[in-house]
Amino acid sequence: MNTRTARGILMTALVAGAFGRAEAQDPRIGNRLDAPSRKALSALVDSARAQGIPVEPLMEKVYQGLAMGADGSRIVVAVRSLTVEMANAHRVLGAVATTDELKAAASAVHAGVPAVELGKMKKQSGLRRSLTLPFTVLADIVSRGVPVQTAANAIRSLVGAGAHDRDISEFQRNVQVDIEKGAQPKAAAETRVKGAVTTPAARPEKREQE
Amino acid sequence: MPDWTRTTLELIVQELQQPVRVDESFDRRVMVRVRRMQAERRPRGAAGWVGAAVNLSRRPAYAAALAAGVVAVVTVGMLRSRPQTVAGSEPIPVQFVLVAPEARSVTVVGDFNNWGLGDTALVAENHNGVWSVSAPVPAGVHRYAFLVNGKQWVADPTAPRAAGDDFGQPSSALVVEGTPE
Repeated sequence: MNTRTARGILMTALVAGAFGRAEAQDPRIGNRLDAPSRKALSALVDSARAQGIPVEPLMEKVYQGLAMGADGSRIVVAVRSLTVEMANAHRVLGAVATTDELKAAASAVHAGVPAVELGKMKKQSGLRRSLTLPFTVLADIVSRGVPVQTAANAIRSLVGAGAHDRDISEFQRNVQVDIEKGAQPKAAAETRVKGAVTTPAARPEKREQE
Repeated sequence: MPDWTRTTLELIVQELQQPVRVDESFDRRVMVRVRRMQAERRPRGAAGWVGAAVNLSRRPAYAAALAAGVVAVVTVGMLRSRPQTVAGSEPIPVQFVLVAPEARSVTVVGDFNNWGLGDTALVAENHNGVWSVSAPVPAGVHRYAFLVNGKQWVADPTAPRAAGDDFGQPSSALVVEGTPE
């Protein structure tokens, strides 16, 4: 049994315990959540599972909320929002998407990227290319002020040009630094993507190592 | 048919429609193997070799069957090598660093340690204001944040932002690439 499978089983057990009978509660949650919130979260988790959406990210959101001192109603709102975003991502990415891809895609949707844009990227990249990092970078640069369409075009260009994750990470760092130095986010993304798209092809020996 | 089912089928069809890329020596290697097989069935000698080559070239069904076999093997290999296998790999050591000269304590919490619930927070060590801690993190995408002095939430300034500060606090995103099993 691999690590991910074990985590999945553990998480399923925790979900059942966390929101189920009071005596079987997850000790990490304990009495920190009021009964109405537990009931609402339980319904959300059941709904997600029925749609084929992984529930692990939902539990992580609960833990994050508790750690950050949020009250039950705010956690419910956040988990409901995440459930909807993951459902949107699942709809456009299909059953071939991994939990990590769905999680990253949900972040991008949360940042304001239309789910349909993510679906286009998945169809463009095919089954083998994981889009976890591209979606993560997409969410990041949008949250830094790069317009959604500019950001989506940039990431699609990178993925379409065969850029590897390290190339896309470098693109993200460059855009971040440019913005922190005062560049307009749109200009930073449009300029940096030009270099990032041409650079990977110029380093064939590096790509072959992957 | 649900949207996600249609999307899945489209992706699989798209993958199957991709041209099969083989290296330049593939044709030569296949032909050497085929000739060897033919030679084992035929009388040895120059006539046998020539006959085998001519026979193959005149029967495109052989080539089609061979190509179909190659496509099937490559496709199965592609589907088996999807990212899920990477996600199941062993945790990878990750170093978390925060420059905070004024801090009295720094911990790291995130998806990978249930956000510190149950005393699972990673306690960073102070190296003259550079706080760091290393820990094995499972492959995948994680949200995390630094907790300074037990009360101030700080995103990692060197990492991508996690979109959506649902709880009014910043957090960062970490993508850990695994090694295939």
